Amino acid sequence: MDVFFVLTNAITVACIYGLIAVAVSITWSSLGLINLAYGFVFTFAGYGAWLVSQHVGEHPLIIAAAGIAMGALAGVLVCLVVFIPLHDKPNFTTRGMIATLAISLIGSQSFLMFFGPRPKSLPDLFGFWSVDLFGVTLTSDKIGIVVCSALMLFLVVRWMKGSRRGLEIRAMMMNPHAASIVGIGIRSTGIYVMAVTGAMAGLASVLLSQTYYIAPFNGLTPLIKGVSIALCGGLGSVQGAVIAAILLGLVEALTNEFLGGQYVLMTQFLFIIAVLVVRPRGISGLLDKAREQ
Amino acid sequence: MSKKHEKSGYTWINPLAAWGTAVGNAAAPSVEVPDIREDWDKATGYKVKTHKVGRLKHYIIWPNHGEKLWSRWRWWPTRRNLLHVTGIYNRKTAIAETKILDRRPLYWLICLAFLAIAPMLFPDNMQNTLLTAGTIFGIFAAINVCWTLIIGTASIFSLASYAVVGTAAFLTSWLSVTYGVPWYVLPVIGAVIGLVFGVAIALPALRLDGFYYALLTLGLNELCRVFFTTSREFGSASGGLYGADSFISESWDPMVQSHVGYYSAFLLLLMSLSLFRLINGKRLGRILRMAPEKREAFAAACGVDYKRARIMIFLITSVALGFIGGFYAAQYRGVAFSIFSFDTVLLGLAMLAIGGIGKAEGAVLGTLVVIFLDKVLLDWGPMRHFMIGALMLAAVLFLNNGYFGIKKQFNAWREKKRGEWRSARTEKGGEALPEEATEVDDKDQLYLRRFDKIQRDYLKTLITPEIIEEHRRQPLGQHSEALERVLLYFRRARMEDKYALHRAGPEGPYKIIAFSGTRGVSPRLVDDREFATVDEGYHGVFMRRVHDLMES
Repeated sequence: MDVFFVLTNAITVACIYGLIAVAVSITWSSLGLINLAYGFVFTFAGYGAWLVSQHVGEHPLIIAAAGIAMGALAGVLVCLVVFIPLHDKPNFTTRGMIATLAISLIGSQSFLMFFGPRPKSLPDLFGFWSVDLFGVTLTSDKIGIVVCSALMLFLVVRWMKGSRRGLEIRAMMMNPHAASIVGIGIRSTGIYVMAVTGAMAGLASVLLSQTYYIAPFNGLTPLIKGVSIALCGGLGSVQGAVIAAILLGLVEALTNEFLGGQYVLMTQFLFIIAVLVVRPRGISGLLDKAREQ
Repeated sequence: MSKKHEKSGYTWINPLAAWGTAVGNAAAPSVEVPDIREDWDKATGYKVKTHKVGRLKHYIIWPNHGEKLWSRWRWWPTRRNLLHVTGIYNRKTAIAETKILDRRPLYWLICLAFLAIAPMLFPDNMQNTLLTAGTIFGIFAAINVCWTLIIGTASIFSLASYAVVGTAAFLTSWLSVTYGVPWYVLPVIGAVIGLVFGVAIALPALRLDGFYYALLTLGLNELCRVFFTTSREFGSASGGLYGADSFISESWDPMVQSHVGYYSAFLLLLMSLSLFRLINGKRLGRILRMAPEKREAFAAACGVDYKRARIMIFLITSVALGFIGGFYAAQYRGVAFSIFSFDTVLLGLAMLAIGGIGKAEGAVLGTLVVIFLDKVLLDWGPMRHFMIGALMLAAVLFLNNGYFGIKKQFNAWREKKRGEWRSARTEKGGEALPEEATEVDDKDQLYLRRFDKIQRDYLKTLITPEIIEEHRRQPLGQHSEALERVLLYFRRARMEDKYALHRAGPEGPYKIIAFSGTRGVSPRLVDDREFATVDEGYHGVFMRRVHDLMES
């Protein structure tokens, strides 16, 4: 096994999980909701894209658009069911987390009931071609995944920095109470945030289905990975999540190379624990008391 | 002034005029007096929509004897009471009564007794399923009670409890399979493993707060799952590790095996409940009740070492969880990988969320509900987990703290509603507000104030220019009915601040004074206005009282 091959693999996967990590991070910092229903959003988008590919068309753009739209829809659904009824109730954080877990339980069981246990696969989005770069063979799907996720992340960050809605979301990140006082609707912002982050998870789902199949319980691994990356990078920080995704990808690649595949999770968790023991709020997490809820 | 005045034109004839004894007022323009009964009915009628909602605390009250007011059942050598009982005298009847303030020990006793005899009540065709489910219930309830100690009492949001149990179970099974360790050592070894695991995961808990820790432990759980499923020693091929020594002999009758399993799990539940009682109800629990989330700084300033207490609880509970893990291995001769699965954590969390986090009864009830759905209603297929998820979601969305938080939440809601209704129907005036009314001991005062307000409202309708003119003409003597009613009310006023006339010289002038109402304290002069004759003075006092009445 060649180091560069492993490295490119790790980067590709890190890109996908990084998308979910950024989604988890943004949701937590702006809404104060630990959303553990991204597994559900992920699978929902995957099945949505699959249905579209079966009934509408197999053009890559259609499938990607369907995945993103379905992800956004699932995100809004989670927002309507969990965030809007709960956000002003006592114990919001605990209850929100348990509610999103309940949604992921309900979701995976309903997917099992509707679609059966057999996994589904999406058509290839990026065709079959490869580029030889400095002696490393980069296949089409790897390049496509990296480019797509980087593009999505870039667009989201641009939108957050440049638009009025983005300004609202950033205001909510700083101080939700003050934001609501100056006229930023907590509920409407919640819907935007969940739609955008859901769209990111939807894209991640479509991209990951290039490597894996879509199955009722397949949302769990991306969720755990995404949450771990977000945790390591610091909840609430986009650049922290990106750095953590790259670092964890490196750890994964190095472990694969020198120790063996079964130790990947162990080294990753030891790495995360080490980071968190040194910096309890992650690599570039918000400072203490920055977000109290 | 009032509508009555406009349609008047009514002239009052002095009845004394027929005898010629009326002085100066044989007839006077006045107002007709409305029937006071109508006003009375209107004022005393209850206009607010009422709902039949209980408002008394329904304590069961037993008769008592005055001599036995303080005799109680106690835990033998100590002075601790068996039940929180109070002996009182009924305020109305003055009869000695006794009532139990905290009835939870009784409910616990009844429920545990029911669990103890439950196998005899199971229907024959379901006996096997229910006994199996009951065994699982006992073990899971024990785990959840320990978990409640971590999440509730220590407020460390750890999701790794099943990972501790699973690791202990796997390692002890492996020891038993490989080295033939007998069953009675397994729980002890499990406890040691639990302690080691607890120390390892307590370290990050010292640094991380709340949800960082929750997510980290979720990851740890996944890590354990992947580690145990992929490693060859722990039987990655067979879905679990089996073959450990057990206290349930395979040579016994299957029914006997099930019963032994059920009762041993029940015993485990009792043990974990007593651990809960020992920790939560004693020093450690009390220390931590002083330091709830977000008020740690205050507790620390008061000298409470909450971090130490939390870690202590965490470690003790980890030992208990490890013990349960060893017990699990000894009971089932091994353990399956499913103990580490995300669904197990989810179901465990569902159990806590349905019953209410932080309460032992919540953990037990939630476990009962979830295990019943999961293990008894097997025919429902994937629908079971769907139902559990829906229950969990509903519990979290609508209840502040699960089933056992309903009472508190309902009471708070009812208080809020009651306040809203009360403020909606409260009128300004002499009437007492309900809050105030409960404070006043002499309830006659309340009725007096209420009656007084009704009467004042009624009299205000009688004050018209006609009766004022009638009074001006002749302050004393027979008056029309309207004026007479008003004057009767005025004359009945309390001595405190009652108006009177003060004659400044032998022939006048007159000034208005007000009595102090207290013997020995002289009256005060109301104003400097002087009245030449006593009749003018009477009318001045009358006008002042009319003014006060209309202002009130």
